Amino acid sequence: MKDRYDHENLYWIPILILFVFLLPVFLKGVSFSYKYYLFVLNLAGIYIILNVGLDLLSGFTGLVSLGHAAFLAVGAYTSAIMVDQLGVPFSLSLILSPIIVGLFGFIIGFPALRISGMYLGLTTMGFGFIVKRIIISFREWTQGSAGLEVSSPILFGYTIKSDWDNYYLIYTFVIIAIIIGRRIANSKIGRSLMAIRDSEQAAEASGINLSQYKMLAFFISGIYAGLAGVLFAHTSSFISTDHFDILLSIYFIIMVLVGGASSIYGAVLGTLFIVLLDNLFVPLIEDQIQLLFNTQAGDIQSLIFGLIMFLFIIFQPMGLYGMWLKMRIYWKLFPFNPRQRFT
Amino acid sequence: MTDILSGISQEIISGIALGSIYALIALGFTMIYKATEVVNFAQGDLMMVGAYVNFFFVSTLLSNSGEPSTWTFLVALVCSIIFSVLFGFFLDFIINRPLKDQPIFSVIMATLSLAIIMRALVAMIAGPIALMPLSPFGDGSITFGTIVISILDLFIISSAIILVIIFYFIFHYTKWGIAMQATSEDPIAAQLMGIPIKKIYALVWIFSALVATLSGILLAPRIALLDTSMGFLGLKAFPAAVLGGFGSIPGAIVGGVILGVIETISLGTLSFHFEWIKEINDIIAWFVLIAVLMVKPDGLFGIEKVKKV
Amino acid sequence: MNKIIGVLIVIGLFGSGCVKRAPSPGITDSEILIGNVQDLSGPMKELGAIIPNGSNMYFKYINDQGGVNGRNIKMLIEDHQYNPQKAVAATKKLIEKDQVFCMFQVIGTSPCEAIRPILAETGTPLIAPATNSGTMSDLTKQAGDLIFHTDTGYDRQAEILVDYIMGKNSDAKIGLVYQDDDYGQNVLLGISRVESKYGITVQKESYQRGAVDFKGQTMNLLKGGLTDVIIAGIVREPVVIMKTAEAMNFKPNFYGTGPTIDARVGKMAGSAGEGFTATYWAYMWNSDEAGPKLYRELCEKYDIPQPYIGLYHYYGFATAMLLVEGLKRAGKNPTRNSLVKGLESFDNWESDTFPPITYSRNDHAGVDKVKLVQMQNGEQVVISDWLE
Repeated sequence: MKDRYDHENLYWIPILILFVFLLPVFLKGVSFSYKYYLFVLNLAGIYIILNVGLDLLSGFTGLVSLGHAAFLAVGAYTSAIMVDQLGVPFSLSLILSPIIVGLFGFIIGFPALRISGMYLGLTTMGFGFIVKRIIISFREWTQGSAGLEVSSPILFGYTIKSDWDNYYLIYTFVIIAIIIGRRIANSKIGRSLMAIRDSEQAAEASGINLSQYKMLAFFISGIYAGLAGVLFAHTSSFISTDHFDILLSIYFIIMVLVGGASSIYGAVLGTLFIVLLDNLFVPLIEDQIQLLFNTQAGDIQSLIFGLIMFLFIIFQPMGLYGMWLKMRIYWKLFPFNPRQRFT
Repeated sequence: MTDILSGISQEIISGIALGSIYALIALGFTMIYKATEVVNFAQGDLMMVGAYVNFFFVSTLLSNSGEPSTWTFLVALVCSIIFSVLFGFFLDFIINRPLKDQPIFSVIMATLSLAIIMRALVAMIAGPIALMPLSPFGDGSITFGTIVISILDLFIISSAIILVIIFYFIFHYTKWGIAMQATSEDPIAAQLMGIPIKKIYALVWIFSALVATLSGILLAPRIALLDTSMGFLGLKAFPAAVLGGFGSIPGAIVGGVILGVIETISLGTLSFHFEWIKEINDIIAWFVLIAVLMVKPDGLFGIEKVKKV
Repeated sequence: MNKIIGVLIVIGLFGSGCVKRAPSPGITDSEILIGNVQDLSGPMKELGAIIPNGSNMYFKYINDQGGVNGRNIKMLIEDHQYNPQKAVAATKKLIEKDQVFCMFQVIGTSPCEAIRPILAETGTPLIAPATNSGTMSDLTKQAGDLIFHTDTGYDRQAEILVDYIMGKNSDAKIGLVYQDDDYGQNVLLGISRVESKYGITVQKESYQRGAVDFKGQTMNLLKGGLTDVIIAGIVREPVVIMKTAEAMNFKPNFYGTGPTIDARVGKMAGSAGEGFTATYWAYMWNSDEAGPKLYRELCEKYDIPQPYIGLYHYYGFATAMLLVEGLKRAGKNPTRNSLVKGLESFDNWESDTFPPITYSRNDHAGVDKVKLVQMQNGEQVVISDWLE
């Protein structure tokens, strides 16, 4: 393992983990609204888990998924139904649901074997719509479009109800997810996936079984999304199909892109950036803008998103992570930086 | 039996009208894709912008003249066309210039972000009050036996046909059109042959904006209330374009019409006789898309692309 | 190194949103802070603009007179885009970050249901949720004791309509077009009650929220040979359905529940909308009772733009009046508890905007009757008295 991660400095990881676990305490001391911030962080955490999987699928393997919100939905509803209607204990659902969604990934991955590029993006988009509608149609279990109340997680006899508890539950999994994600990315699997993205013919010629790896990519991203779905359902206590729409799928792709596709840390950073921006930063400038134009919050948020995404694509196609890689290289070489701009 | 038959015939006619609108939007996609390989996710929202802009022109003219007349609509139409040409040019400018060296995926994501921006801007500028677009043809309709078709629908169908013929002609029989095809096949070779590809790209975007605006103007009276979510109808045009084969203009029309008909029949007769169909009405288009892609990954009329390693 | 930068950026983003504030549940010496979550940019963004405007107009009127027991009312509005998850986030923000005293007028049944846990957890009352769903007044549900509903439930509206139809024509064949979500579900509840009451079957067609084409459903209704059709929609649906039906030469009696009372339904449907009858649970905004009169005076006084004036704006006004009365009864030093008690003391409270409202420990339902309003020659005319 040492030589795999040779180019990185691993010692700060335990410090970061400690920081993550101490953050709520810090927040509680600093602000009386700490519960709300934990809530935002929880949402970010759930999306991080999903996006690590999405990154492996779309960033590493190049299989564009514009319907990933459907995976999240399947995970959420599956767990909600299993726990509340079938009596499955939450801890079991944590294992079963991701697997179910992973298998579901196989179903969606199957067309991917033949369809490629933008057609695949459209197919996944179609699956997004189809899955959402099918969830509504199973009215007996899902209450249709009205939404479903979900019970709180019960782990080892302890009911996890408040945002505080949710945070620790979620972030434990976030850390595990990221570590596993990086292991996959830096392993033979990761390299094979990237080879597929760069050139299918070449990959095949090098002995990589395309079908196997593509399905594997869908399966893995399904597992991640399933885990995110379980956590999402039980910490939100109410889920409805309204949430899992095409816009959410697009947001996920944006998060991965902004962070820098084909980088696990990039996915994490992109997700954090977008979620924090959306929930904390934008409301700040919202009031100023509302004085200027007679307009409403939601539109400003969308506008800012669109603008940020657009600007990132134009100026920073490598995303946030790319930005830092560049900065890191810059500092490494300092003061011997070459004249021309890094591209 | 005749009951069902007449029901289905009615639905087919309505479906063709609906499909014509899908066809027009798909036409826009296909044109851009054919020339630049870019999938324009903002096509639906371009349509929405066109509809709003036209509404704006119509209401401004109305506030001056009072009573709506053919003249009002015509002037508004011309103004909207001029706007769409300028807007198309503008879009090409901000998308293609900065991103000319980027992989196609980036450009596609750029169109996506543009779609989001356009939707937000229009919503902000238009304000929250719902707008009621006026139909230049009123509510009149013609009846053939048991089949009723509104004049608006007739006009939609005829416009679609005319536009398709015009664009097909342009693409295959004029210098610029052939230049566009050449550019889409191989931009570098085209450049070497002296084709000004930057102008070609601009032209293609202008055409698409034009078609999108026209489809928006035609669609607006059909849906009674203008709303920025009109753009989502554009998403439905994707299956239409793919069905016909991305990159094929007649394919876009065929795809659009087939889709419109399938949707309308499923909403009507099929839903009446089979309860479960009600559940999948709005996603039939996507089922069709996936089914077609599974069988023919390049669409019904698409051409297989052979890429060098 | 870059990770540290990354972390710093994230903390910066985070810190930018942090606010340090002493805990006070929305009451200061000079101000009462209330929270509202509307659909400001989603499918019903129009309502999100108009309804709170009506409330703010009334609040301004009250504040100009010195406020409630010397305190001005300030309303914060968040956007949920009709997404229950976003509604939860917005409510959490309002309650935990902005520390509002109570929630008010939250729109949409699913959003209101979704925020029950947080209302219960923090003990925050929700006054006048902007939805006609009968489930809002269900005291057995979580936070039911904190929610005070004002509107007649959809289920009741549908029942009353069917009673009316059957009363006019005992051989009526009735159809229902409903929105396939919580709204529709509540309507179906009422319909199933009358189906068993009269031993009839109502032909049901549904549509997805936001649908724009109803040819299929209308065709099916036509095939059913129906005499009366109830449309449980909002504004666009009744218009398009009636127009489509007219084009098909299908002329049943059309009825509508809930938001279809909007005057634009008649205006946009034109001749097709002639005779359309909707249910309404308050006094018409353009009628002569004292409440509507005050409403129109205030609209003039505060220069409300023409497109805003009307049903929804009036609804904002009326519910604001209810809230203010509740706040007044909460006493000189209101607490959330005293607000709840104050509201529960409403005994046939006559506001002249709604019919008399009574609340009590066991009844948070508000109004439970409706009047029928019909389109005649392009104008809305009240054609019945209070029906229940």
